[in-house]
Amino acid sequence: MQAWLAPKYLMWLWQGFGVTLGLALSAAVAATALGFVLALARHARYRAARHAAGAYVVAFRNTPLLVQLLFWYFGVATLLPDAVMQWLNTAHTVHAMGWAVRWPSFEFVAGWIGLTCYTAAFIAEEFQAGLRGVREGQHHAAAALGLTPLQAFRYVVLPQAVRISLPPLFGQYMNLVKNSSLTMAIGLAELSYAARQVETETFQTFAAFGVATLLYIAAVAVIEAVSLVVAHRRDLSFARR
Amino acid sequence: MQWSLLLNNLPYLLVGAFPDGPPGGAALTLVLAVTSALASALLGMAGGIALAMAGRIARVPLLLVIGFFRAIPVLMLIFWTFFLLPVLFHVNVPGLAAVVCALSLIGGAYLAHSVHAGILAVGEGQWQAGLSLGLTRMQALRYVLLPQAIRIMTPSFVNQWVSLVKDTSLAYIVGVGELSFVATQVNNRLMVYPVQIFLFVGFIYLVLCTALDRGATYWLTRSGRDARASVAPVAPAVPSRD
Repeated sequence: MQAWLAPKYLMWLWQGFGVTLGLALSAAVAATALGFVLALARHARYRAARHAAGAYVVAFRNTPLLVQLLFWYFGVATLLPDAVMQWLNTAHTVHAMGWAVRWPSFEFVAGWIGLTCYTAAFIAEEFQAGLRGVREGQHHAAAALGLTPLQAFRYVVLPQAVRISLPPLFGQYMNLVKNSSLTMAIGLAELSYAARQVETETFQTFAAFGVATLLYIAAVAVIEAVSLVVAHRRDLSFARR
Repeated sequence: MQWSLLLNNLPYLLVGAFPDGPPGGAALTLVLAVTSALASALLGMAGGIALAMAGRIARVPLLLVIGFFRAIPVLMLIFWTFFLLPVLFHVNVPGLAAVVCALSLIGGAYLAHSVHAGILAVGEGQWQAGLSLGLTRMQALRYVLLPQAIRIMTPSFVNQWVSLVKDTSLAYIVGVGELSFVATQVNNRLMVYPVQIFLFVGFIYLVLCTALDRGATYWLTRSGRDARASVAPVAPAVPSRD
């Protein structure tokens, strides 16, 4: 038995890590945007919008991500017209500015949609907590200065709410990286999938899962470090005022 | 669509092959969730108390272990317990035990921090009050700090248990016949109704999680409400003017 993994298998793990990072990053961007919209909708003037956003958060928070992924992967595939599915399942390449961008596989798209919708529900809650955390006096102060409600929200409430919700937001990004491991269930070749594959092929259980675990810990540690830096700069910018 | 096809599979989704074979489906999901909820509560209590009682140096390895479990995906830990334990100890670990083990460890790691935070939130004054009454540190923790801390920790426990119910679906990966696993089995057999099947399974989880959330919150805050209710008539209110 070889002592350590052959370079070829390390390469598999490394590529899997790349897919994990790409998936987590693109889902983080989309989930933040969607979560923000949901948090706004829960404060909307229309009752229907408030209720819809509330129902969305309850439904997506209280069902397992795995079932949601299976739904997007197996379920939605049957709802879409055949032509669309065919297009999604074939490889596409977009040439833009000298770069060849490959359109991702259907597994990636399904995983991205699933992770985005799931994480957005949690991020919406964090944003909402941030909005609630801005004291009532701030609203009144903005109104007293003659700002319109929209201006008050944009220049007074929002900056403070974002500051409050930054630390838990980074916690959600860490969860997102960890949750991306579930996409192996729909056959996306990310880090966990690669680890399982290497393990099956080499029987070096300890090495395969060890490397994968270390890579996950590294990713989470980097997010933690970024969150600390951001929190520090935020506190500095508070101190300057 | 033919609802009868789904209806025929309903018992299988809910209890698996139960009367004739081992329980599966939603019933097994419940068993998994309850077992790992209890184990994670015990581990979390032990970890939190250890964090609160440990000195500065003893705390470092403890924090490292807890940090490790919090940083890795549940799926990775299931792999560790499912694939590595057999290799190391030459025992065959059933998928069920591996999943319960992984879920309890991760849940325990998260709860340890909640318990520690709850004990800290009760405040230094309560420690000093307990110690000055002649209680040992352990007695002060047991009779003064913990009863108050439990009330503070309740929401964290309920949240953790809800995410535990959701995480039992990961047993699917190692082939344990719980709800998600039998759902894919039924889906593969019928082939034509994936949307309905997964929506229905999602609905079962939704009911389980919201029921647990409401039920546990009510049950765990009841003692607090009772205590306050019995205190209220005795407590001097604002003196009436007439």
